[in-house]
Amino acid sequence: MAAKVYDAIVVGTGAGGSTAMKILCEAGLQVCAINSGPRMDPDQDYRAHRQVYDLKYRGYGDPLRLQGKAHQEPYSVEESEYSEGRDLFEHDVAYSNAPGTDWYWKRCKATGGKANFWGRSSARFGDIDFKAADLDGFGENWPVDYAEISPWFSKAERYMGVASTIQNRPSNPDGEFLPQIPWRCIDYIIQKGAEKIGVPYLPDRCAQLTVAHNGHPACHYCGNCSRGCDVGSFFSPTWFTIPEAEATRNLTLLTNALVRGILVNEDGMANGVAYVDRGARKEVEVYAKVVVLAASCVETAHIMLNSKSRHWPTGIANSSGQLGKNLCEHLYGNPGYGYLPRLLGQPATPDNIADSTVAWAPRWQNLKNPREEKFIRGYSVYIGGGCGEFPGYYGQIEGFGAAFKRDLKRYYPTSIGALIQAPTLPSSNNYVDIDPEKKDIFGIPQLRFHFQWGQNELLMWEHSKQVMSDLFKAMGAEMWGADDQPNRAGTSLHETGVCRFGNDPKRYVTNKWAQTHDVSNLYICDASIFPSCTDKTTTMPIVAFTMRTCDHMLDNFKKGVHKRA
Amino acid sequence: MGGQGIERREILRYIGMAAVAGTFPGFRQWVFACPQEHSQSLPSHVGSDSYQPLFFSSQHYRMVEKLADMIIPEDDTPGAKQAGVAEFIDFMVANRVPVSGSRDIRSTDDAIEAGNELQNRFIAGLDWMNARSHSEFGQQFMDCTREQQNSLLEELAYKAKFKPTTEGGRAFFQMMRDYTVVGYYTTKIGLQSIGYPGLRAVWPKMPGCSHPDDPEHANLREPASSAVSTQSNKN
Repeated sequence: MAAKVYDAIVVGTGAGGSTAMKILCEAGLQVCAINSGPRMDPDQDYRAHRQVYDLKYRGYGDPLRLQGKAHQEPYSVEESEYSEGRDLFEHDVAYSNAPGTDWYWKRCKATGGKANFWGRSSARFGDIDFKAADLDGFGENWPVDYAEISPWFSKAERYMGVASTIQNRPSNPDGEFLPQIPWRCIDYIIQKGAEKIGVPYLPDRCAQLTVAHNGHPACHYCGNCSRGCDVGSFFSPTWFTIPEAEATRNLTLLTNALVRGILVNEDGMANGVAYVDRGARKEVEVYAKVVVLAASCVETAHIMLNSKSRHWPTGIANSSGQLGKNLCEHLYGNPGYGYLPRLLGQPATPDNIADSTVAWAPRWQNLKNPREEKFIRGYSVYIGGGCGEFPGYYGQIEGFGAAFKRDLKRYYPTSIGALIQAPTLPSSNNYVDIDPEKKDIFGIPQLRFHFQWGQNELLMWEHSKQVMSDLFKAMGAEMWGADDQPNRAGTSLHETGVCRFGNDPKRYVTNKWAQTHDVSNLYICDASIFPSCTDKTTTMPIVAFTMRTCDHMLDNFKKGVHKRA
Repeated sequence: MGGQGIERREILRYIGMAAVAGTFPGFRQWVFACPQEHSQSLPSHVGSDSYQPLFFSSQHYRMVEKLADMIIPEDDTPGAKQAGVAEFIDFMVANRVPVSGSRDIRSTDDAIEAGNELQNRFIAGLDWMNARSHSEFGQQFMDCTREQQNSLLEELAYKAKFKPTTEGGRAFFQMMRDYTVVGYYTTKIGLQSIGYPGLRAVWPKMPGCSHPDDPEHANLREPASSAVSTQSNKN
């Protein structure tokens, strides 16, 4: 009996992969989606309004829970005690850091991936990003421009639901928005201060449903977002794309299936993938006419680098030698935190969306002239605070007893903090490759990271600390401090670049449609194609570029470039 | 597609009723801390005296209880005692759960090492407190008067009262305060005392700022009840 051949295999079910599944299934293709871990179950795996006192370790988790695992480093926040005992995050597959590299690689392997828990900031990229090399002479332009991508951003926004306002800033193109999230007291105070020092403070583009949208209910402001939305009031594969793909009955979804490589035919074209069935611990092959990789940026490169054959001795579709190169990331860190004395003693307000990006300071540097600062390009800053789930500022208040307890309450509405989002520039120091010695417990050669912060992003980091110091003065805030060092590389989860796209097959891994130059039936639907990292986040653009790539792919099916199975 | 979302809205009404904490061993006072949800699972004989510490000796446990209650006493809202903070600390230390310090934990071995250090620091710190109270007042901490206990803590808690010989005690006090604050503000009692809005899981809308005429919030008055604390805090 001949093995079943699908029209398309999609590897990964996060923002990109699940969007591809949905579009291809709705077009009538027979799709096999392969997910590394188990099926996400919102009832069990999300926070679902449980309170911290419902948890045995009050959210800290059993410190011995990862005993015996190959990768024992605990991940933060999303991998919380709310889902303890569930196998959602990757601790079986280890990775390597080259000497001097300290990359933090958080992997959610359940269906939907990190997009179950994402931060929801959804700004459009603009020509300031796509044509950055023309502006400042550094690096490479993207192979697309804003006029071409704008309709796809609109399509993604209409589908996902993004709350914001029209702001008329060319560096942050406007889109099609739901009503904004109402501002909290702190937002008005910050905005007034920012105005005085010439920094914009505006509603973020936040993929949170302020009104019911496409059948999904409006947000109920429980504040549990970063541990999953129990009703699907922001875009996630679990509530949006995966159920829609399944409704077509054209989807076969394999779980606990860890892809180890792409299979090729006599001509070196993709004809399927090989995966490890984690339960049975055996290798399985699946076949298809087209393969879509959406395994989350560096894992996509990992799979490709491990897909060696006589056609592709250094990894599939790597004739350019660029596979795994140009790893970019957002530098994250807290450039200033403190409190607003004018809010001391005010009642706690139900602005319980502490981890939503209600408003932000979108890039304001190097706009008039691309070289007006000591660094090129620019960064954005998120500023938040208010009545959160824990009085984390208590360390700033000395003493004990009734006075200490009352002060903790007085300060409750006042504390604020910032988060810089600064793009790294592509650098020859920053890349991933295959560890020549180490293999994971399934016998798959491990991915190895090489990454250092560069001068440009470190200058932005210093700059942001000065700006925060000025801003705190301007808004009458007291500063408690700032981080000495940026966070570990990898913590933003916004890695890009390892399969960069561009027109020249000698210099880029994929073409402008995210189709690999070398292997015409291999497509990529994640942030690995983005040749540089901007001051904006990646999820909404991943969805938009995936929509565009799938449109192109379906066109190729129509034209006969790809045959149906 | 959206059908699931709408169905789930119905389920919202039942949420908040998961009585998980009631099933944990040795956590009866935690159950007290969350009375409405968990009252049905309360055994009738529960009382603080019947608690058998998992980690601390009974003498040390009584000190932990006392210190926690001095750090967060009952005032217009319940204190550490009612919130079961000493049980929390005993459980967390017994299970080697670090809540304070910034030690980088990358492996289970790191966690075990940090946990052992934590246990040793607690024991050593409580012994330090007793040694200090002996040298200052000639008796164990628990035998001291309230004023004596207060003065022992004040020299560890307020910069102005620090002494060069009390460094070890200050580090212990800071850790003890970390565990107390975490233990208190992760109970329903503690979260209610600061007015954590997330105790209510469903808001029909986000009200936002209610001071449209004063965007800079320069003219807010501090409510009278908390202005009192400004007075009493000047020490």
